[in-house]
Amino acid sequence: MIRQAVLKTLARGAFALLLVTAAAYAESDPEDIIKYRQNVMKANGAHMAATGAILQGKVDYKKELADHAKALQAINRDIPALFPKGSDFGDTKALDAVWSKRADFEKRAKASQVKADAFAKAAGSGDMKLASAKFKELSDSCKACHKDYRKEEK
Amino acid sequence: MRIPRLIPAVCAVLATGFVAAAGAAEVAHDRGDYLFRAAGCGGCHTDEKNHGPALAGGPAIKTPRGTFYGPNITPEPALGLGRWREADFIRAMREGVSPEGAHYYPSFPYASYTRLTDDDLRALWAYLRRQPPVAQPNRPHDVPWYLRPRSLLGTWKALYFTPGAWQPRPDKDETWNRGAYLVEAVTHCGECHTPRDALGGPRRALHLAGTRDGPDDSVVPNITPDRKTGIGRWRKSEIVEYLATGMTPEGDFAGERMAEIIDRSTSRLTPDDREAIATYLLSLPPVEHATRKEKQKPVGGRDEFGF
Repeated sequence: MIRQAVLKTLARGAFALLLVTAAAYAESDPEDIIKYRQNVMKANGAHMAATGAILQGKVDYKKELADHAKALQAINRDIPALFPKGSDFGDTKALDAVWSKRADFEKRAKASQVKADAFAKAAGSGDMKLASAKFKELSDSCKACHKDYRKEEK
Repeated sequence: MRIPRLIPAVCAVLATGFVAAAGAAEVAHDRGDYLFRAAGCGGCHTDEKNHGPALAGGPAIKTPRGTFYGPNITPEPALGLGRWREADFIRAMREGVSPEGAHYYPSFPYASYTRLTDDDLRALWAYLRRQPPVAQPNRPHDVPWYLRPRSLLGTWKALYFTPGAWQPRPDKDETWNRGAYLVEAVTHCGECHTPRDALGGPRRALHLAGTRDGPDDSVVPNITPDRKTGIGRWRKSEIVEYLATGMTPEGDFAGERMAEIIDRSTSRLTPDDREAIATYLLSLPPVEHATRKEKQKPVGGRDEFGF
């Protein structure tokens, strides 16, 4: 009996906690989401630039290539999650199409995810030529998405 | 058995050479094709987003002085350029005048195309003649009533337009001259990157210094080598890389119209031509002209105290 009561209380507590967490999540300030998104994208860009410098032979950090690739793979795992509903208003360069053409947007993001995976694999293999080719494909997918879903400068 | 094996190998070698030269998967077949891509004609004459037929009419281009639609330039006789002669085309590009003698709006960048050489204009014309004709009527431009009389454009031309092919500067080297020709005539960068005055004329003192009133409400960056507001901190190799792949030195990627231009034009140029463009841009006088709005961060704002 006592055990059951304790369990019930625990379950209620857990449920309440879940609600509070959900409420807190739902109430994330859109501007905080936008800021977070921009920071993640900046990190993405920084790894892209660093990778580009290595692959073009501007710097000799070949050892680090696989690490940059892994970071890019992680960041590109779920780009649409960075663009939840309601995060379209404020200091953002995201175009309305991100939300109004969601299926296509998610398809493009998926393409980046696939390209980032392929690049990570190539970078891990040590084959620089293959890595360069896969990096080019990843770059193209970044550009393809920016072309239709990001406003140039604002 | 030996020959059939050899042929694909030879083809592969040739193809690799070509791809390396063009810097893109698709290869330009001749000078006209190359110029057509470099000038990005399809950007205004093909409605790619709506899967419109090639060169049969372009998407809306919204400017502060009206919305323009690139016309059908396929060789279709009634609705395209089928009845034009080479001389009509050269006159249109060089003088901004239709075969009937009407002035074109400068949204058609003849202010840049006038600088193309006769040879290049002829090559472009030959290329256009080879394209499939499409019977698609032109969409009229949507301009405010006070800009509708085309005779006004004669005045505009008198104020801002100097026809004539590009003259190479003998005091500069070949790379610089090629870059100048590409930027000022072929790829017509200044059409968007140079701000315009109230009458839509380019502001010469701010040549290529960017504008907040770009097409489709875009902000077009300053591409003069000013360190603070332009691309003065970019190295030449970074400009070349950007034109080839769209990646900035920060690892960011071009978006919207510039991404389109990179896909359509600059990524398909030869590496030498990209190098020439970068050389020319970095040789320009730096102009301090900010186009981006400075981020306003009020003192005591959220960022500072974290609430």
